Amino acid sequence: MDQSLIAGHAPTPPAARMENHGSSMLKVAMQTGHDLFARTGSMVAYEGFIQYEANAPAIRQMASQWLTGEGAPVMKCSGDGLLYLADYGADVVCLQLNNESVSVNGTNLLAFDAHLQWGVERVKGMAKFAGQGLFNVVVSGTGWVALTSRGTPIVVDCGRGDDETYVDPDALVAWSTNLRMKGKRSFKASSMIGRGSGEAYQLGFSGQGFVVVQPSEDSTDRLRARG
Amino acid sequence: MSREFQRGHRAKISDLTAGTDLYVGVQIGGPGLSFDISCFGLDADERLSDDRYFVFFNQPKSPEGAIQLLGEQAGDTESFRVTLNQMPAHVRKLTFTATIDGAGQMSQVGPGYLRVVAGGVEVARYAFTGSEFTTERAVMLGDLYLKDVWRFAAVGQGFDGGLEALLTNFGGEVLEEEEPAPAPAPAATPAFAPPAQQAPAQQAPAPAFAPPAGQPAPAPQSPQAPQPPAPAPNFAPPPGSTPPPGAPAAPQVHAAPTMAAPIAPPGYFSGDRTPPGGTVPPPPGPPGVPPPPGPPGVPGQHAPHGQHQPPQAPQPPAPAPAPAPNQAYPQQSYGAPAVPAQPYPGQQPAAPYGQPGQPGQQPYGHPAQPGHPAPYGAAPGTPPHGTGAPAAPGVQVAFDKYREAPTGQRWTLQNPKLVRVDLGADPQPVLARQGSMVLYQGKVDFSYKGAGFMGRIVGNATGQEMQLMRCTGRGQVFLAENSAHVHPIQLENDAICVSADAVLAFDESLHHEVRRIEGHGIPGGALFTMQFHGTGTVVVKTHGTPVVLPVTPTTFADSNAIVAWSAGAQVIISSQVRLRRHPYPGHSGEAVNLQFRGAPGNFIVVQPYEV
Repeated sequence: MDQSLIAGHAPTPPAARMENHGSSMLKVAMQTGHDLFARTGSMVAYEGFIQYEANAPAIRQMASQWLTGEGAPVMKCSGDGLLYLADYGADVVCLQLNNESVSVNGTNLLAFDAHLQWGVERVKGMAKFAGQGLFNVVVSGTGWVALTSRGTPIVVDCGRGDDETYVDPDALVAWSTNLRMKGKRSFKASSMIGRGSGEAYQLGFSGQGFVVVQPSEDSTDRLRARG
Repeated sequence: MSREFQRGHRAKISDLTAGTDLYVGVQIGGPGLSFDISCFGLDADERLSDDRYFVFFNQPKSPEGAIQLLGEQAGDTESFRVTLNQMPAHVRKLTFTATIDGAGQMSQVGPGYLRVVAGGVEVARYAFTGSEFTTERAVMLGDLYLKDVWRFAAVGQGFDGGLEALLTNFGGEVLEEEEPAPAPAPAATPAFAPPAQQAPAQQAPAPAFAPPAGQPAPAPQSPQAPQPPAPAPNFAPPPGSTPPPGAPAAPQVHAAPTMAAPIAPPGYFSGDRTPPGGTVPPPPGPPGVPPPPGPPGVPGQHAPHGQHQPPQAPQPPAPAPAPAPNQAYPQQSYGAPAVPAQPYPGQQPAAPYGQPGQPGQQPYGHPAQPGHPAPYGAAPGTPPHGTGAPAAPGVQVAFDKYREAPTGQRWTLQNPKLVRVDLGADPQPVLARQGSMVLYQGKVDFSYKGAGFMGRIVGNATGQEMQLMRCTGRGQVFLAENSAHVHPIQLENDAICVSADAVLAFDESLHHEVRRIEGHGIPGGALFTMQFHGTGTVVVKTHGTPVVLPVTPTTFADSNAIVAWSAGAQVIISSQVRLRRHPYPGHSGEAVNLQFRGAPGNFIVVQPYEV
């Protein structure tokens, strides 16, 4: 078979714990002793001997606040080999934390090293009008984290001016934890009579740090929606 | 999607990627060899008329930054960032070259490649090995050139003379180089590789010149004039002679016979000085017919391969005047700005992007080499759109490629799916589709935009009005929707029709009106489009990379996939009955096709998605 057309997609030898394979696939070099937490259902392929444990008791405890709590949406991956993860074609961004911490929207978290400290938080002051609240996962320590974004994300520095940065909660991917955050309702009387601008709620960030935003207001959790 | 290129292959950049912000990486190496990898920005005559566009280690970027040297990273020996849409108009071609610094020849080179990465994805790769070369000391690896659109060509053409020969070739000045000595004789003869062993591209020499591929090339008559295996040797000018005046001194790189067939002989374009490029010229005369004026290169310099015509400047270039060991570049003529002359090996240009915070800390380096931060040193954020390079520690570094790009313009495309509008400079409001704001900074107010008359028409007819909001105030608003591609279109007293679904935002200064296209079979009874005219910007969104077609007498589009068309084009609903005879035999009866008519110059934009 002539494989010349697809030969270009062969994996490159791993050079780091996490790498992109193309824009929307994550390749993780797994090693025994370095476990990984990944979103349940995000595995698309693996090479080697990797085991998955969904709903490990420890995870369940940590993620008990996550959404309705019926099963944590993360699984623990352990073993040796190469693991490929993807989330329905979303762009993947790998971060290497260096004793830093980042707060990631639960939907946009793809995988992270198991030895990182993490916890689920509910965004204060922010309750989405319909559906569940906005949950985010704070990951800190030294290690790797992979995020997903629907479309190429953009990173905006806050604290560049006096002005606060306001983000559509549906488009928010991640932010640095040292930012101050508050919800803002641009709710006017006219909104009540069906004449809203479509931008009823925003999250305002102030302080020094960054905000990662995806160019899409699609915040559905496809991995979860699949059931 | 990486396409493998062979020597001589070429393609439009737009076929490879929609982006214009490219990362070009070169990997080349060999035992005991060190290389200088540089990029020549050439003008329409393939001359280096502006030496600020010679980007090399001493001049790591062009004045406006369209070409930047990024250094070693991500497995590449050298890498460049090329921003095609910032390229000044006079730069028509970028040639990426590798030259051996010090002793050695290209045949000692191990497997290497030149690759083009866009948006973090490798889109093109030209791989080569040392066996394709012989005694060359420099090689032109690949070109990005502008011929109507930007294109990429894998060249793989060697030069014996090293960097100086390249410079001379491109019309640069190398001081203290005037002796018109032909190239060293011994170099040429052994270099005569039999055609069989060569890259496929070489087996297709220009028909007017070369015998059919595979036929053993005749030995060169003299070392000075290693003619290509031409059945008509008489056309070859004597060694050292000057080509006819019409022949450009510039190398006909894209017409050189090392290219894939069918290509004109090198001299083919000489008469009319058409810039060599990707077009396929009419076939030249039968073999043996003396070709049009313009000898294929000047044989002053030996051609190492039979078909390897070093496109040389008229004056036979002197063999490189013994390059100084530290590669003292022609500083005088190239005036390396600001950077003092540095001995090359070991000196890498500082990574133009932020160095990672602490590259030494490799906390989790087990698959990588612990305590070996070098490959990561400059790598992580540096590729403008990431090559998937391993990131150095630090969130900021990984995010570098996704940074906001402030430009001071009113509308800025941050990435293919996100547009930023700066309301500070011009306090005029912007109308945007409701809910398309993803982020804003500053004091911006979003208010309902009454649809007015237009909205009522649309709303009444389709039951769905165009939902707009007005953004006023001071600040920056980032607009995107559903990760659709966005395209700001600047109108200067022009007019354009955009399908109402495809409008993301526009300046309120533009006049807009709704046009209704009626026809049987259109869902909802009619197709609504917004016609914009005036001066300002419209942002159009498309699902996927759109295609822009010129309007010809037979231009049809699906009414669901059409995004926009220039207002000069006239729309006709073409009925199914008529289309039956058209080449869509199995077309189901649902879609309605629009036919466009218009004067030349009109265009339509179609997205690969049928809403």
